[in-house]
Amino acid sequence: MDAAAPRIYLDHNATTPLRHEVQAVMAAAMADAWGNPSSVHALGRQARDVVERARAHVAGLLGAVPEEIIFTSGGTEADNLAIRGLARAAWVAKGPRCKDQSPHVISSPLEHPAVHGALAALAAEGFAVTLLPVGPAGEIDAADLRAALRDETVLVSLALANHEIGNLYDVAALAALAHQRGALFHCDAVQGVGRVPFNVQVAGVDAATVSAHKLYGPKGTGALFVRRGVSLDPLVAGGHQERERRGGTENVLGIVGFGEACRLATAEAPGGMAGTTELRDRLERQLLDVPGARLHGLLSERVPGTTNLGFEGADGQLVLIGLDLEGVCVSTGAACTSGTLEPSPVMLALGLSPARAREALRFSLGRSTTAAEVDRAAAVTGQVVSRVRAATPVAIRP
Amino acid sequence: MSGGVDSSTAAALLHASGVEVVGVTLKLYNASGTSASAGGRCCSPRDIDDARATAASLGFAHYVLDESEAFSRAVIDDFLGEYAKGRTPNPCVRCNEQLKFGPLVRFARAVGASSLATGHYARLVPGSDGVRLLRAVDREKDQAYFLFGVRVDDLAFVQFPLGDLNKSQVRQAARRLGLPNCDKPDSQQICFIPDGDHKAFVERHGAGGRAGDIVDESGAVIGEHAGTHHFTIGQRRGLPSGGADKRFVLRIDPATGAVTTGPRDRLGRWAMHVADVRWLRPRVPGAPLRCDVQIRHHSTAWPATVTDSGVSSTVGVEFEQPVDGIAPGQAAVFYQGDCVLGGGWIATEGASDFPAAQPPRLTPPENQNPRLDPLA
Repeated sequence: MDAAAPRIYLDHNATTPLRHEVQAVMAAAMADAWGNPSSVHALGRQARDVVERARAHVAGLLGAVPEEIIFTSGGTEADNLAIRGLARAAWVAKGPRCKDQSPHVISSPLEHPAVHGALAALAAEGFAVTLLPVGPAGEIDAADLRAALRDETVLVSLALANHEIGNLYDVAALAALAHQRGALFHCDAVQGVGRVPFNVQVAGVDAATVSAHKLYGPKGTGALFVRRGVSLDPLVAGGHQERERRGGTENVLGIVGFGEACRLATAEAPGGMAGTTELRDRLERQLLDVPGARLHGLLSERVPGTTNLGFEGADGQLVLIGLDLEGVCVSTGAACTSGTLEPSPVMLALGLSPARAREALRFSLGRSTTAAEVDRAAAVTGQVVSRVRAATPVAIRP
Repeated sequence: MSGGVDSSTAAALLHASGVEVVGVTLKLYNASGTSASAGGRCCSPRDIDDARATAASLGFAHYVLDESEAFSRAVIDDFLGEYAKGRTPNPCVRCNEQLKFGPLVRFARAVGASSLATGHYARLVPGSDGVRLLRAVDREKDQAYFLFGVRVDDLAFVQFPLGDLNKSQVRQAARRLGLPNCDKPDSQQICFIPDGDHKAFVERHGAGGRAGDIVDESGAVIGEHAGTHHFTIGQRRGLPSGGADKRFVLRIDPATGAVTTGPRDRLGRWAMHVADVRWLRPRVPGAPLRCDVQIRHHSTAWPATVTDSGVSSTVGVEFEQPVDGIAPGQAAVFYQGDCVLGGGWIATEGASDFPAAQPPRLTPPENQNPRLDPLA
């Protein structure tokens, strides 16, 4: 790697850098707001004040009211709280009307592992789980949801934007279908909020997950929106915090940073991502010039910064590593911290063979991405793909 | 980088010499949630962490490649299958032969590296007629035996930075370079059987050999056993005590499950067949080859003549003296001095083809050089 070349970060769907403005409010809170927000005294009130201001900013970005926002440790916890907490509570109300039926939830094979993990936990409790069929570009057909809904369906959980391919879904239409059959609708909005307009009132969802570090806030903080009046079983026993829905002393610093990130996102929302879309398309055009390249996902409806491609015969992990050594940070889509190489369930759901699925690479752009970075990343990708193909003349995996 | 001190030191020495190093660890099996990581065997999550920590402390990139599927097929299935056939497998040779170098060389080329370095104790010497694989300077640690099956093309791309060092020098270097794992104990067991209990592992995977009789050379039954995988040729343990004479396993018949035993002086074999032979050095086809043949890790290399058997990639080996403990399934490696000429897998230990205790078929040449035990 050319040590002089600066890193090019094209992995904003994994995480985003902390904005300077966010760092500043967090640094201030570190000095001033170290009290326990539950304490009665002045220091407690000071901490409570910054937490509630942050809550208002998060609510503002989502079109919610502050009391509908529950702070969590991040998207994974919020997804778990929503799916397990809503489904259990809803079945308490609905179960008696559905004699001899198992409680039922609906989702899709495209969802984040946090959603699938929470669904598995429900399945272990006796819930029936339906995963909707998916089209080759990751389409979810409303008719399939309509057909899957039953009287005993308590919850539908579908993402606003897919984490690997960036597809956007018509959450409002899907939520309306769920409501017609008396089911709740949870939306994992982690990959969409801050990138596309999302208003919980317009979308009509009952619950929505957001994560701070996907919108230039700190890691370790997220939130679950739960519509007023919807009951929720808490996951954590003990602790009165967050209106008894999520016990544990608040992560004040994280929440403060999260709030500021949401405030900035709200202020900058209109048109803020048009440039990112343009750069993504510019990158995509160049990457598609690499022989054997193919796009994954629904190209007409995507979040601005995401593109997912495969280069036939070039193992995605090897290309990723080759790019990393050239200073370009991307992802294979599947988080592979321990190096496991299971093909991405999202790619398999699109109908790709395991070998093709292992070729998938996700490029995700952000606020700071420049045209020069995109051009260099595309050029380096072309070189790395050729080198990987030359080094692996036979398919590296069957 | 297995996470052990050897490969970490190999990487650190190269890094210290100014070479741009990229670390890579093969994840070979899933030991998650077991005690497999406790003893620090290769490729357990803890070892992957050790490799990562070494790379991070020295400041170079490190990646993990998952080859657990291929390892399961090429090494573990083979290991179980060999025991089921009454043979004595050597998974470490199999891993080096079938698994380790292929993916690593591909990886290295794919990331644009000019060479692949590992922590093996062996030496590579380039020459006009190709690279020579030699035993390591440290004869205790020497691993050249494990490497006969590596493709010649791959060896040309490889370097072994530890080949000229002995283990204490490597430990010293690890301490001098401040490696976090410099005092980590050497691994002793097969990596995927961290507790060293091969029998239990084989049985857990439902792959044991037949149960049957323990017999003496006349065929008289002197006991019974729970499966041929409990035995290897030359083994004493687990046999009925036979009075004054100590008994050893002479033969294992996978079809009947019979384990034939006898006194030590009946263990010697003059000959064997070696299958699936690969040559690292050019060889005159058809010509008998005088060389030294090592029949397991840490054994002496015995003077012998290798001849074509008439069967493709199978050779006959005739020793100059009877050799004990020839176990089908083990690797036989051919040396000239320190240089590995090639090797293969022991197919038959000559019990039927070459009756035990028969005199050598070939007369030793007149002016034979005195042979030194390379391990002495």
